[in-house]
Amino acid sequence: MTNTIIIGVGRTSFGEHFHKDPEELIEEAGLKALQAAGIERKDLDAVVISDHFLQVTNKIGLEEGFISELLELNIPMETSRSFSSALNQACNAIEAGRYSIVLVGGVEKMTDRLDKIRDNLMMLADSWSYYSGGTPEALHEIMLREYAKKHEIKGEEFERLMETLAYISHKNHEFGAKNPHAQFYRRRVKVEDIIKRRRGGLLGIYDFAPISDGATAAVIVNEEKAKEIANLGLEVKGRASCTDHISYFTRDEMAGFKATRISMEKALKEAEIRREEISLIELYDQSTVMEMVALEDLKLTEPGTAWKIIHQSMEEKTYTYRFGNHEIYVNTNGGLKADGNPLGATGGAQLYETYIQLLEKAGERQISIEKENPYALTLEHEGFGTKSYVYIYGRWMI
Amino acid sequence: MSSEPIERRVSYISDRLRGSRCPICNRRYFKPRNYCPQCGRKSMGKMEEIDFFYSKGILEACTIVNNATNRFKVLQPYIFGIAVIDDEIKVPVRVTDQPLKEEFKPEDFEGREIVFRFRRRYSVGTADIIPTTSLAVTFADEYYPHITYKIREPEEYSDKPGIVGYALYTSRFRIRERGMERAVPYLDEDSITAAVEAGKLALIQAALSGEKIGKVMVGTESNPYAVKPIASKVAQVLNLGENLADGVRGIDAVDTEFACKAATSMFKDAAALAKYMDEQGKDYFGMVIGTDNSQAAPRWEPGGELDYFVGYGAAAFIIGNRDVIAELEGWYSVTSDTPDFWRRDGQKYPLHGGRFTGEPAYFKHILKAARRLMDKMKLKPKDIDYFVPHQPNAKFPLRAARRLGFKDEQCLPALKVLNFGNLYSGSSPAGLVAVLDIAKPYEKILLTSFGSGAGSDAYLFTVTPRIVEKRRRTEKFNVKWQTNNPHLIYVSYEEYRRMKEGI
Repeated sequence: MTNTIIIGVGRTSFGEHFHKDPEELIEEAGLKALQAAGIERKDLDAVVISDHFLQVTNKIGLEEGFISELLELNIPMETSRSFSSALNQACNAIEAGRYSIVLVGGVEKMTDRLDKIRDNLMMLADSWSYYSGGTPEALHEIMLREYAKKHEIKGEEFERLMETLAYISHKNHEFGAKNPHAQFYRRRVKVEDIIKRRRGGLLGIYDFAPISDGATAAVIVNEEKAKEIANLGLEVKGRASCTDHISYFTRDEMAGFKATRISMEKALKEAEIRREEISLIELYDQSTVMEMVALEDLKLTEPGTAWKIIHQSMEEKTYTYRFGNHEIYVNTNGGLKADGNPLGATGGAQLYETYIQLLEKAGERQISIEKENPYALTLEHEGFGTKSYVYIYGRWMI
Repeated sequence: MSSEPIERRVSYISDRLRGSRCPICNRRYFKPRNYCPQCGRKSMGKMEEIDFFYSKGILEACTIVNNATNRFKVLQPYIFGIAVIDDEIKVPVRVTDQPLKEEFKPEDFEGREIVFRFRRRYSVGTADIIPTTSLAVTFADEYYPHITYKIREPEEYSDKPGIVGYALYTSRFRIRERGMERAVPYLDEDSITAAVEAGKLALIQAALSGEKIGKVMVGTESNPYAVKPIASKVAQVLNLGENLADGVRGIDAVDTEFACKAATSMFKDAAALAKYMDEQGKDYFGMVIGTDNSQAAPRWEPGGELDYFVGYGAAAFIIGNRDVIAELEGWYSVTSDTPDFWRRDGQKYPLHGGRFTGEPAYFKHILKAARRLMDKMKLKPKDIDYFVPHQPNAKFPLRAARRLGFKDEQCLPALKVLNFGNLYSGSSPAGLVAVLDIAKPYEKILLTSFGSGAGSDAYLFTVTPRIVEKRRRTEKFNVKWQTNNPHLIYVSYEEYRRMKEGI
C-alpha cells in the first residue's frame, strides 16, 4: 500500500460572493491547487468534488459535468458531500493503486438562497426535529444543556461555562482576523460583545459559524508521483470516519459525539502516534459548543473538563489550549466561526491551514512548532455529528 | 405546495405518536419500525403497533427558539427540547401555549412533566393541506394536566341509549371584555385540534376503547377546509373504529353543518343507531363533537360586532347503549328558512341580520322546540332540573328560559358563555357538559340548541347513578377547572386577533 501525499492546496476567500457562480469559485480554488502542486490538468487521473446544497441553492444536479466542462477532461469524476468524504474517496483509490493523481475539490454557494438556507440546513438533521420546530442552532443549544446536566454545571459555574464558550469564539476571531481568506478577516470580536449578542437565548450569533460561499481544492498523489513532482508535502498518516444516527435524540450519548470518539481512536491507531504528538487541530466548530465537546471527544481531556481547560487559557490569554504539558493550537485559520463555513468546502480550508502551518508556509501567521516530526489533525462532521471524519497529517519530505 | 403522500405519512405517525414494540426484547421505538435493530431479522414481521398519544413525558433539555425556520416564524419565540417518555423513548418537541415574556431560563422548564397535545405543525399556504402533529407539548402542572386513559369493557346494558362519556375542551387563553371572558385559540389551534382534544377527553372519561366507536359526527361552521372532513382526522388520530390495517379504520365519519346546531342535531341519530344495534344485541357507540373557532371580522369591519362574543372550544359526547350516564328520554326539532346569520362560500367572515337574529330567529325556534318537547313528554318547567339553551350572549338564554317558565337558577348552571364566549356548535353542548359535571342521579336536563338558518333541537336527558364514578375520571380538566384556573393567560385585543388569525 502506498502512502498518500498532498502536494498542493488552493482556496478562495470565504464570505459572500455575490458576483460569482459556484463554477467560478471551484475554478479558482482548483487552478490554485494545480499551480501549487506544479501539475497540469491533463495529469489528473480523477476528480472528486464535494458540496451539500448546490442542488438546492443553485439547481446544479450533476456537478461532475460542470467540472468536465471547466477542465475539458473526460476522466472519472465523482461527487461527495463533504471535503473530508471526497478526500476519503481519493485516498482509497490511491492506496488501492487505481489512480496516482487525484484532484479533490469542495464548493458551496449558500448565500444565493439566504432566505431558505436555514430551512435547508435542517435536511442535515432528522425530519422530526424539523417538524417539532428545531433549528440548526437549537440542537447545539440542546447539547449545551445536556452537557451542563451531565456534568452538573449549574448557577455561577454555568455562567462561567457560557463565558468560556464566548472565549472560544473570541479566540477563533483573533485567528480569523489575521487570515486574509477568512470571512471575518480583520474583524476582531470582544468576549463581552459575544455575550451581549446572546440576548434572550442561550447562545448568540457569535457562537455560531456564519453562512458562507467558497471553494477549496487539493491535489492528492501517491508517494511515487510525489517524488517525481515535489520535494515537500503533507502525508496522510491516519484517517477514519464513523457514522451515527441521523436523529440526535435516539443516540446513546448526547453530551458529545460518539462518531468523533470512534474515528479518533481508529485514526490514531493507524497513524501510530500518541495524542501528545499533535501540535495543531483544525476542528469543526460549527458552534462554540462543538469546539468544546470536540476536545473531549478527541480525548484530549476527560469528559466535563474541556471548558475548564479553555477557561484557564482564557485567563492566560494564550490562544492555545494546554492539556497538562501538552500545548495545542486549535483552529488557527479562525475555525468555521471566523474563517467561514461553506459546507462542502469547509474541510478543504481545514486541510489548507494544516498544509501551510505544518509545511511552514503560513508567513506572518506561522505558528511555532517545536517538534521535529510535527502532526496535525482535522475533524470534520457532516450533519450534527452524524458523520465524523478524522485525518492525521505529518510532514513529507524527500 | 405540500406533498400529499409525505403529509399523509408524517401526520399518520406524528398525530398519534405511533411507534413499534419488539416482542422479543420489549424495546419500544417512536416511529413504526419493520424490525428491531437490536434483534435483527428474527423480529421481522413481528413488531407490534404501539403509540404514545396518551403518554406523559419529562422535558429533559430545552432551549428557546428566537429565530425559527421559515414555517415556524409566526410561532416564535418558543421552547424546543427533547422529551423522554417512560425513561426510555426520546422525542423532539415544541412547547406550545407558552408565550415567553420574561428572560428565558432553561432550568425553569427542564425536568418538568409534559403532556402531548394535538396541534397544527407549522404555517403553510392557504391552499395547502394543514400539517398537524402531537409533538407539541404543554406542562402537566399548568392548564392541561395529564390524565391516564384506562380502558374498561362496557358492563351494564341500558334500556334507553344516552350519553356514555362527555368532555369540554377550551384553550388556555382568554380575553376579558365587557364583563365577559372568552376562550381564545393559541396560534396553532383550530376547530380540528379542539375536536380531537375533546374527543380524546371523552374517551378517557368513558374509559372506552376507540375501537368501539361506530360513527363519529363533527358539527362545525369553522372547518378550515371547505372540502375535507374534520371527522376523518378525529377518527384517525383517536384510533376510532376497528383497525383494518394500512391506516384504515372500520368506522363511519361525517361532518355536519347547520350553524350552531350542527352537533346537537346528531345526538338523536347516534342514539337511534345505538337503539337499532341494541335490538340486534350489539354494543354501539357514536361520537358527536361540536367544535368551533368561528370567524369574526375585526371590530371595525362589517359584522365586527360578533367579535365581542366569539369563543373557541369543542364539546364531545359518546352516545351509546352501555354504561349510560344520561339517558335520552325524547327530542323534538324545528326548522324554518330564516336568514339571520350566514357566510357565503369564499367569504372570510360571516354576517348577521342584526335585530332579526332575536325574536324571529333565536326565540321563535328555541321556544317552539322546547315547548313541543315538554308537551310531548308531559312535563312542566318545574319537573325539569336544568335548562340548557344555546348561548350566543348572556341575555338571550335567560330571557328564553324565563319565557318558557324556568327560574334563573334552573338555567344559570348551564350558562357558560360568560366564561368561554359563544362556542357556536359547541355552545349549548358546553352548557350540557357544565350541567353534567354537577347533576345528581335522576335529575332531568332539557337542552335546546339553536342554529341560524334556522332551527332548534330540544332534548330531554335523565342522569343515571353511573355519572358519579365516570366524571371523577376527568375531574382534573372539568368545566370548573377550565373556568377558575390559575394558569389561564389573559390577552389583549391585539394579541387575540393575532392568535385568532393563527399560523
